[in-house]
Amino acid sequence: MFKKFVPNFSNELRDPRYFQILFLGSFLFVGINYLGWNSESIKYLVTFLVAIITQLTFSFKTTQRYSSIKSALITALGLCLLLKTGNIWVTALASFVAIASKFLIKSNGKHIFNPANIGIILAILITGNAWVSPGQWGSSTLLWFLIGACGFTMILKVNRLDTTIVFLLVFGGLLYCRQVIYLGWETEVWLHKVNNGTLLLFSFFMITDPMTIPNHKRARIIWASLLALLLFVSSNYFYIQTAAIWLLFLISPFTPMFDKYFSAPKYKWNVDHRTQKLPNKI
Amino acid sequence: MKKISLSILFLLGIVLSSSAFCGFYVAKAGAELFNNKSEVILVRNGEYATITMSNDFTGNIKDFAMVIPVPNVLQRQDIAIVDRSIFASLDAYSAPRLVEYYDPNPCYVPRPVMEALEVEDDMVEKDFVSNVALREAKKHKVTIEAKYNVEEYEILILSAKESDGLKTWLIENGYKIPAKAEKVLEPYIKNKLKFFVVKVNLKTHKPGSSEGFLRPLQIKVKSDKFMLPIRLGMANAKGEQDMIVYAFSKKGRIECTNYRTVNMPTNRKIPTFVKPNFGNFYSDLFKNTHSREGRDAVFLEYAWDVTPSWGGVKCDPCVGNPPYFVDLTKAGVSWVNQRGSSVHFTRLHVRYSLSKFPEDLFFQETPNRQSFQARYVITHPATGDLSCSEGRNYSKKLKTRRRKEISELASLTQWDVNEFYDYIPNGTDKIKSVSEDENDTSPISPFNDNKQSPQIPLIITLTLLIIFILNSIALRLSKKV
Repeated sequence: MFKKFVPNFSNELRDPRYFQILFLGSFLFVGINYLGWNSESIKYLVTFLVAIITQLTFSFKTTQRYSSIKSALITALGLCLLLKTGNIWVTALASFVAIASKFLIKSNGKHIFNPANIGIILAILITGNAWVSPGQWGSSTLLWFLIGACGFTMILKVNRLDTTIVFLLVFGGLLYCRQVIYLGWETEVWLHKVNNGTLLLFSFFMITDPMTIPNHKRARIIWASLLALLLFVSSNYFYIQTAAIWLLFLISPFTPMFDKYFSAPKYKWNVDHRTQKLPNKI
Repeated sequence: MKKISLSILFLLGIVLSSSAFCGFYVAKAGAELFNNKSEVILVRNGEYATITMSNDFTGNIKDFAMVIPVPNVLQRQDIAIVDRSIFASLDAYSAPRLVEYYDPNPCYVPRPVMEALEVEDDMVEKDFVSNVALREAKKHKVTIEAKYNVEEYEILILSAKESDGLKTWLIENGYKIPAKAEKVLEPYIKNKLKFFVVKVNLKTHKPGSSEGFLRPLQIKVKSDKFMLPIRLGMANAKGEQDMIVYAFSKKGRIECTNYRTVNMPTNRKIPTFVKPNFGNFYSDLFKNTHSREGRDAVFLEYAWDVTPSWGGVKCDPCVGNPPYFVDLTKAGVSWVNQRGSSVHFTRLHVRYSLSKFPEDLFFQETPNRQSFQARYVITHPATGDLSCSEGRNYSKKLKTRRRKEISELASLTQWDVNEFYDYIPNGTDKIKSVSEDENDTSPISPFNDNKQSPQIPLIITLTLLIIFILNSIALRLSKKV
């Protein structure tokens, strides 16, 4: 009886990508309206159009399944949030590269690079007229909560919380040891660094993409720790401000290696992982 | 008295007794420690950064000393002294500007006029009277890595093993160290930074030279870190401090990487009566924008391609001459001679405080070459006979426009615009006196300032989360039932 009165939103929205679209969309909204970003509607439109057209074309030529359009929307949103450029063609190129990479650069049925990540990197490298603004989110506590809460819900649904927790713990821990314990800065300096919106978005949304990170839990822990360590070194000793996106790009080709040594089934969208026995449990 | 164009410095009315760039001023016995505004020219070329610090220290010259953390031991050729005028000309060129237009009379032949408003002011200058003697010291694990006499300055490059030692060294040499300085010095020492300590050499300093001011010091450092160490300057800070950064790069706009870089509101149409009060207007606009953005953002006031050989328009309108070849060379733009290399100029304004800016400022060069200027527009109404039908129509539109202008003014500055009751009907800046009947005017509500806090998305997100959690709980319960 009771069952009838409870609409099953979870069932309807079992695919966590809907949530991701909603949350990334709201971040874009916040960025434009409250964080002083320049709204570039034509750029956003081009990003979405190119992403959708590329996705449809490749889907038509390969699987002929079109549900992956959601992934294309996520990638397009990611590009709108992160990639800055003054040229519309650069936007189009990034969007095309991002989606095309999913179909062209694959290993064991998984694409190797995070689509938005490779789109951004190649746009920067090829055109020299693109950049990312690590400071664009500021470091407000409210934002921490907002992104944290949104990201949390998303990860709970895709069961990749371990990656984010390990990444943030290792990076935050190392940073604390250096900045506060060793150098003697106040805790505020550390908080300001870890509270950075770009870092949080990266940890909650970019490195949780189940398609481009290792399948096995243990592999993910090693992978996330390695990424955190490299990020710590490159940002604290080499002062590379946008190290995160470059490192993710460089570490991605090693994901198939992790998958080879730690075998576990590939992640599938549209499955309620909370109600199932985790396929990736050690 | 030298005439200069009205600059932000004067607009904001913060010509205070002294100011320091990234370092703090250490003063001997009892002299007021105070730094509130500074100007810095920052030139980035590959891994080199040339930093020029304005020096408007106006206290007793023997009290002057400055400590700046630097990444390595500077060579003599890396230190230079430049003329103060470079700051004035860069400021004059890039300061936020007011532009005025004139409406043509719709009943007569149109005659459009556009002119930039340039206000001039006298520069206040004071003489320095004495000097500081340098004492020898080789104690407390402080090493004097280098010692240079550069015209009126005596420069020491120190390295220290511990902040306590450096602090004691400075105290033993007769300096009053701000209470918090030791804590701030420590991270720099641990990070293996050196300290660039500057004093005035009484023997070589001529009070008459450079019109009484200490001249700006320019240093060239090689470092992967593209930053300005503001934390040290906050050790003796009272509240908020302003810093204007004039940055140059080959590539494009400079932006901050650990704080938000936000464009100042620009191209806003404001009432004509703001003209004589433009200084106050911009000061309040900056204050309001700074507070609306959470007091932790860096503001972009100007960005333009200033390559001397480039023939394009370098400002619209120009309130000062674009920097010439010689200015750029003085500022440290070493590639200005190179063919095909461009020079991009960025003016950033940051108002920082200890609590809102816990980290030093880090920057990056971006390929963003879009021009930007903080520009405000006043439009004078048409004059003469407006009795023709177009004229009557114009008069109606004029009132609507004035209403918009005054709302814009309220939204930008938080001024109580209801006081300017006569602006909409008659275009004057009459202020309502106490005896005026309040019913004479309808209150003018400012545009909704929708940037107070991101509450709507927060509420939406929270609601979605709650729905989702409740739904999950309900589903589990229903399964149990």
